[in-house]
Amino acid sequence: MKSKKVLSVLVTTALAVSVLTGCGGGRGTGESAPAANTVETAGTEKTDSEPANDSSASDSSEGGEVVGVALPWLGTQNWAEAEVMFKEQLEAAGYEAIIQAADQKVPQQQQQIESMIENGAKVIVVGPVDGSQLGSVLEKAKDAGVYVIGYDRLLENTTGVDGVVQFGSIQTGELQAQALLQGLEELKGEAPYNIELFGGGPADPNAPNFFTGAMSVLQPLIDDGTLVVVSGQTDFTQCATADWDNSKAQSRMDAILAGNYSDIEIDGVLSPNDGIARAIITSCENAGQPIPVVSGLDAENESVEWVWSGRQYSTIAKPTNALVAETVSIIDSLLGGNGMPETDVTVSNGVIDVPIYELPPVVVTKDNAKEVFADDPDRMALLKD
Amino acid sequence: MKYVKKVLGEDLRQYTMVVALVALIIIFNIASGGKMVTSSNFQNLISGNAYVLVLALGMLMVIVIGQIDLSVGSVAGFASMVMAITARQFNLPWYVAILVALAIGVIAGAWQGFFLSRLGIPGFITTLGGMMIFRGGVIWVSNSISVPVPSELKWFGAGYLPEWGPAFTGMNNSTLLLGIIAIVVYIIIQLKKFTHSGDVTGIKEEFWPVAVRIGLVTAVIGFMTWIFGSGRPGTSFPIPGLILVMLIILYHLITERTSFGRHVYAVGGNKLAAELSGVNVKRTYFLTMLNMSILAAVAGILFVGRSTAAGPADGTSWEMDAIASVFIGGAAVSGGVGTVIATMVGGLVMAVLNNGLMLMGVGADKTQVIKGFVLLAAVAFDVYNKKNRR
Amino acid sequence: MGNGHILQMKNITKTFPGVKALSNVTLEVSEASIHAICGENGAGKSTLMKVLSGVYPHGSYEGSIIFQGEEMAFKNIKESERAGIVIIHQELTMIPELSVTENIFMGNEIVEKGLINWDKERKKTRELLDAVGLHISPNAIIKNLGVGQQQLVEIAKALSKNVKLLILDEPTSSLNESDSENLLNLMLGLKKQGITCIMISHKLNEIAAVSDYVTVIRDGQTVDGYAVEAGKVDENKIIKAMVGREIENRYPEHTPKIGEVVLEVSDWNVEDAKVPGKMLCKNSKFNVRAGEIVGFAGLMGAGRTELMRSLFGKNIGIFRGGTIKIHDREVKIDSVQDAIKNKIAYVPEDRKMLGLNLLDSIRKTTVSANLDEIKTRGLLDFDKERAAAEKYRVSLKTKCSDVGVGVNTLSGGNQQKVVLSKWMFTEPDILILDEPTRGIDVGAKYEIYKLIHKLADQGKAIILVSSELPELLGMADRIYTIFEGKITGEISAKEANQEVLMKKMTITV
Repeated sequence: MKSKKVLSVLVTTALAVSVLTGCGGGRGTGESAPAANTVETAGTEKTDSEPANDSSASDSSEGGEVVGVALPWLGTQNWAEAEVMFKEQLEAAGYEAIIQAADQKVPQQQQQIESMIENGAKVIVVGPVDGSQLGSVLEKAKDAGVYVIGYDRLLENTTGVDGVVQFGSIQTGELQAQALLQGLEELKGEAPYNIELFGGGPADPNAPNFFTGAMSVLQPLIDDGTLVVVSGQTDFTQCATADWDNSKAQSRMDAILAGNYSDIEIDGVLSPNDGIARAIITSCENAGQPIPVVSGLDAENESVEWVWSGRQYSTIAKPTNALVAETVSIIDSLLGGNGMPETDVTVSNGVIDVPIYELPPVVVTKDNAKEVFADDPDRMALLKD
Repeated sequence: MKYVKKVLGEDLRQYTMVVALVALIIIFNIASGGKMVTSSNFQNLISGNAYVLVLALGMLMVIVIGQIDLSVGSVAGFASMVMAITARQFNLPWYVAILVALAIGVIAGAWQGFFLSRLGIPGFITTLGGMMIFRGGVIWVSNSISVPVPSELKWFGAGYLPEWGPAFTGMNNSTLLLGIIAIVVYIIIQLKKFTHSGDVTGIKEEFWPVAVRIGLVTAVIGFMTWIFGSGRPGTSFPIPGLILVMLIILYHLITERTSFGRHVYAVGGNKLAAELSGVNVKRTYFLTMLNMSILAAVAGILFVGRSTAAGPADGTSWEMDAIASVFIGGAAVSGGVGTVIATMVGGLVMAVLNNGLMLMGVGADKTQVIKGFVLLAAVAFDVYNKKNRR
Repeated sequence: MGNGHILQMKNITKTFPGVKALSNVTLEVSEASIHAICGENGAGKSTLMKVLSGVYPHGSYEGSIIFQGEEMAFKNIKESERAGIVIIHQELTMIPELSVTENIFMGNEIVEKGLINWDKERKKTRELLDAVGLHISPNAIIKNLGVGQQQLVEIAKALSKNVKLLILDEPTSSLNESDSENLLNLMLGLKKQGITCIMISHKLNEIAAVSDYVTVIRDGQTVDGYAVEAGKVDENKIIKAMVGREIENRYPEHTPKIGEVVLEVSDWNVEDAKVPGKMLCKNSKFNVRAGEIVGFAGLMGAGRTELMRSLFGKNIGIFRGGTIKIHDREVKIDSVQDAIKNKIAYVPEDRKMLGLNLLDSIRKTTVSANLDEIKTRGLLDFDKERAAAEKYRVSLKTKCSDVGVGVNTLSGGNQQKVVLSKWMFTEPDILILDEPTRGIDVGAKYEIYKLIHKLADQGKAIILVSSELPELLGMADRIYTIFEGKITGEISAKEANQEVLMKKMTITV
């Protein structure tokens, strides 16, 4: 009996609350109509990301604005270097840096970015594990008034990105192809040349761009017979190397050599990066082939040695230092209240057009290695006579 | 102590993990300078871990029945990838895509259930095969490229409840209403229980412990309502959290209050005895595996909603997080033991640990090490407790 | 060794948290004798033996152990074995997939230059097997041996360790009559060789047959001890000492009220799933009436359990034809669910393996075979569950603090009562009881007998399978005998005696 009474009181209370709710309104977002935030909440009615800047100006007096840097992992030289350089350069510029690496796991990176927002970051630099899977998290950053700068890879599928700093990826591909042609002419005599093509990890939005850039140079020569792709595999999907995994590239090369090159020699291979380049060269050596002309990317230490000793024809340096410096200068501009710097290049990320800040990469061959690395004592040490 | 027992029940050990959870939250909140217990962080905590907790619900039943499912991550990845492709390539509406994902879950679960229940191949092997098959499937159908999903699906992984009603509450009124409903329902259940308490044993329970219990729970739900409801306008208790809560209630009922739930525990505790008590063991195995894969598909949907795209690596090693949650929640490797609520607490311990360490800027490497130690410590503590009881 | 005692345990007290398991127990065992220890389940016999063999290390108990004139302080089993004390447990502890030789020398291998010398091991095994009268190959795989043979291998293993004092815990509980006799003879042989045996046993006839001295333990205390003249023992005196009261009659009085035929089985054939061609049941035909208790007598392996389990939803073997009529109507029973629907209940012989989920509480176990009965609007109703559990706790006098406690905390007799509750809750017409009193002490047995009578008086048809002939003679109204899967005889209780039954149990008619 007693319980019924209590129950009815509670139900009335609940009802009263629900009736009150009828009179419309909502809270906070006075300027936006209540209808606007019925279903679509995050990000749609956001025009107030700028005001956050005002508050940031006030606490910047203490110095040490927080800048978050979310990196995909530290498993390759360029990312490991980036971690160190971001720390040095951001701290030198007077910021407080939170740098976290996500061990190639998307959920981990999502949570790391969220924790950076919680920690009051004003700018978050994101080197994504997968550029298209951070959508709602980056929008959360946008809603919280945080600037998001993509680093090295495009951030797709979200409105929460203010700009992307990267080496021109189409341009990189073009340079790889040009270096390959140069090497073929230099080392392999007269055309036609037998070549094979390798692409990078499909999850990385740069990989198809590298390939596209390279093919823009190579395709006309394939069509006119100067270049012969003996295996016939010229589509990106056929040539791609899942996860940029060197061992997968090596087994693909093994299979191609065994199937197509029993009685002919291979002259050149388009490789999207250094690790895959070394895997390809190893595979050719194991198969008893003369070393072909192979392109590369990243100027990893081992490949710099190989270029120097002539095993790998070329690599491409994308000086991490320059990319980090560019990123930090953008951060300076943003936190100095000057907004994003001007740029002509924009790329659609599927939702919006994103401003792109491109740096030119540098081809490295044995001939110019000493010039390119003149300011890099670590790599210079590798170039022993 | 006697009074505490009257309020919480005889078996206080089941609260050790709850105590650990609360302690972790408090410690991290102090260590991070108050960044742990905030609206936005709690929202992050829930929407960032809902998918693991959903998997853990199914995994609990799989482990209770004495099996293990290694394929859940791959099934989640496969279901969500097919969902994304359905929506994008074939231009089907988002709800059809969701049905497709759930159908994939049903098919994957039926497949694995068939091998376990009809052919008697141990779940470890069946699902190890499934793990490879469905992971390969994800890469195959996606060409290793991420596929964006329709924006409607984002609601499931990162959406919030609507804002409406008066502004004077200072809160998201949807969240407030949910909180009030939860409190009212709890009070009704407690009072009902109280009025019937003497019916069987003849010993009428005292009223004060009931009142204390109601007070405690009201305070906890009230606090949660406030935390989740008072965030930035436009935010509320997250949608994935709401889906999770509904699933928790559903699976709590299934495991505790249905014949099927009893059968799961019976088969896990003593398969032969269960069979001789009239339990259809094969059917129970089948349904448990089926259920697991459907929940894996749900987890995939939640995750993809949050990520706005299905990726080729989605689901990698999720099974380990789900299994860890179940064991931290006190389930036995040999089967027959474990509860939904304890599993959720176990999963939240892992989530809070992850979140707190990140807030403090601890790297992924060290976080992993710490989580490993916590898993071992929790299970060791449990085993130690059980030994001492004898 | 002076006084002729190989072992003296003096004032042994062992306390577990909250329980005093042993209190001032004294045990003196003469050299080259067979010493029986008996007592109800939970009286402390096993605890005492664990103290002796070092399972509970020195320091965890009070009192002293003097073995062969020296005070011993064993820290573990290895130390007690080195001194020459070997315990053979009720549950055999050999590795089923390995050979006799490998098992005998497990942990004790003859190693030369880092390798096992198999020839020496096999030769030694041969000798040991001869010593225990077992004529099998040393290479035989344990799982292919019968339980009786395995037991003999255990003893051979003990002999390999130069045993001086052999402890046998319920050695014949899982053996049939001829294996039991074999084992008892072996014990007498060992005694002649100067090996002392301690035998823990419930079976008073065995104690009477071989032992020289009996010690009775009750509630953790030595209550009685006296010398036995071989072949002469006052069973009633022992029982009285065990239970602390005189049991005038081991089987309660009962006047049956027998009605119509409830169950009729004919031409029942079941083939062994593992051994093609071997029939577990051959053309079995029998019936049971309402209110009647029908006994099934047979040696271990005769096919009693197999017959019952195949009736209970074809739970064992491959069905090869036969019909079941209940209340004169033919029924199809293809699964345990069908059997339960047709109001059949089966209480299995192996309580822990087949009857109970030891992780469950009493209340969950009680309702586990009839969950539909406790549902309210499709969901399990805990109030109904508790009510059901309480009802059977009261009516069966199950001893427990609360029906919420785990069944693993109960003694064997109370566990059996819970299993019976579970099947009574299905309200069966036909109740099959397979060895319902195995491993249960005398007092609890009596209560279960009374319960069986009560169920019969309610008009239920009851099948009682038992290895103990006195139990069948004391309880059943009618007895069928089984030999090698075949029903070899049907005798009314009045005409039956042990000799008649044994004859039909060992001969094909």
